[in-house]
Amino acid sequence: MDPEFQAELDYYLKNYVGRESPLYLCERLSRELGVRIYLKREDLNHTGSHKINNTLGQALLAQKMGKERLIAETGAGQHGVATATAAAVLGMKCTVYMGARDMQRQRLNVFRMQMLGAEVKEVSKGSQTLKDATNEAFRDFIQSFEYSHMLIGSVVGPHPYPMIVRDFQSVIGREVKEQFKNLEGRLPSHILACVGGGSNSMGIFYPFLDEPVELIGVEAGGRGINPGEHCATLGHGDDGILHGAFSRLLQDENGQILDTHSISAGLDYPGVGPEHAYLRENGRVTYVHVSDEETIEAFLKLSEYEGIIPALESAHAVAYALKMAPDLSAGSSLVINLSGRGDKDAEEVYRYLEKRQEVL
Amino acid sequence: MSAIRELMLHYQQKQNPALIAFIMALLPDEDLCLDCIKALEQGGCDILELGVPFTDPLADGEIIERFHHRGTRQGLNLKRGLEFAHRVKNSCNMPIILFSYYNPLYRMGPDKFMQEAKAAGIEGLIVPDLPLDEMHVLDGYGIEAIPMLAPSSTDERVQMAAERQAAFIYCVSVRGVTGKRSLPEQEIKDYLQKVRIAARTPLALGFGISGPQPVETFRDYTDAVVVGSYLARIIEEYEDCPRLLPEQIEKAFLKLGEAREGKYGSI
Repeated sequence: MDPEFQAELDYYLKNYVGRESPLYLCERLSRELGVRIYLKREDLNHTGSHKINNTLGQALLAQKMGKERLIAETGAGQHGVATATAAAVLGMKCTVYMGARDMQRQRLNVFRMQMLGAEVKEVSKGSQTLKDATNEAFRDFIQSFEYSHMLIGSVVGPHPYPMIVRDFQSVIGREVKEQFKNLEGRLPSHILACVGGGSNSMGIFYPFLDEPVELIGVEAGGRGINPGEHCATLGHGDDGILHGAFSRLLQDENGQILDTHSISAGLDYPGVGPEHAYLRENGRVTYVHVSDEETIEAFLKLSEYEGIIPALESAHAVAYALKMAPDLSAGSSLVINLSGRGDKDAEEVYRYLEKRQEVL
Repeated sequence: MSAIRELMLHYQQKQNPALIAFIMALLPDEDLCLDCIKALEQGGCDILELGVPFTDPLADGEIIERFHHRGTRQGLNLKRGLEFAHRVKNSCNMPIILFSYYNPLYRMGPDKFMQEAKAAGIEGLIVPDLPLDEMHVLDGYGIEAIPMLAPSSTDERVQMAAERQAAFIYCVSVRGVTGKRSLPEQEIKDYLQKVRIAARTPLALGFGISGPQPVETFRDYTDAVVVGSYLARIIEEYEDCPRLLPEQIEKAFLKLGEAREGKYGSI
């Protein structure tokens, strides 16, 4: 480890991102559910999600390697914004690839990236979501690697990306361990996090892998288990190779990658980090999924009960906590990784509720 | 010795490079594709590289990617590609190299795939997203697995490719995906010479061979040229006139044939 690099990263995490992020006890929700519910407030980070932990780390790494430009893929735009931010503060150039469909449903983030000086490139091929944005980012990188760094936003892609991203995100889990010990003098009974590619979940799980804590990854169940209706890769996928990694994939019987659906653009990806596939296989982490509908309910409930509007991605983890709470013993303490804030999703939720109103 | 190996050794001795054409299987439709392939042979093409459509063709640029997506939207896949290869085998004399990304092949099971490929008459295989380090999974089935190198490949990777003693080494001429504009001429020549010194294996130059001119430019430096996006462009331009398309392809390849003999610029 390079202590100078570590010190520089720590400096930015503290003074720029605002770490450490609080571990907050949800009093009203806990009272209603009969178990203690804590939120790891990654939504309070600068730029509004956990993504900045990784983008700052990798951007500093890229500078060390003499790169002057960052390339990123983005789904919901959170990673794109976090990359554009890191580029701005470190004085680097930045290009973000984003699916045309995602640009439409996350307009606010597109504008944010542009204000931060990044060039946002629309990808209108294939699924027009994160998968094809990632393809385009890779194509750019193949041509420009001499002066560009591809800043992958999740624990996916070719080695060593899954490890780089995991290590930069592990700050979440390390803090939780310390904070929880100070609050309750023990370990939490359960830790929950949503899983798309799996960076916030890997970040909070990793420091607990050898501890007696139940780890639960929550995938996007979308509209149902039919192909194309969800992105529960670990629950319904098979072994395969995509974007340079061997992991679980949503694919058809001929190995073509399937389209996915989730109400949250950030989970809309047919692959998942290879280390998650491993943790599923060895049984260390339990992977479940919740539907769009359950996610919306959780989104509204957390907003009403705690005054915290979660990102739709993070609302998946909240939804499963609500679902499992009645079956837990009274002394249980759950930590949910609230990986991002929900401002960006207000429009999307509004549209969903409007549509539901029409159906009723 | 496989026909591909024999052909490539033959061209290694000659001054003129072999012509390899990349065409996406079953597009615009099965019969027209077959007509195009026959036209390629008529036009002097030596080896056929037959592409299998994939949803996420990372190594391919815009034009070839369009063909991949057209194919996948029609439900085309590796199984259909193998059936078609068999049909092509019975209709022409060019040796066939199958081009497929790795996931469809992995999904079918490499063992089953290699046996079926062999049965279909396929003699070579290009898997652009299978790294050199993993290529051994394709060995031992009597099909030529073709290693790829790029201008950015380190000496160590060049050595790895050389040690495979393949029928040929596919040298990508660009930093980037198929159809992109080439690097400066001298840089490509230097790179081909670097690989040439490290490996006795015949070389093929591909990605960015946009017409007769680059064929003529590099004829003395490579043992084969691979033409893909250039052919795809012709197909896109003429597919609405299926009667004209094969003729156009044949003409284009006759031109490439002149170029490989150094007679293009002089016309």
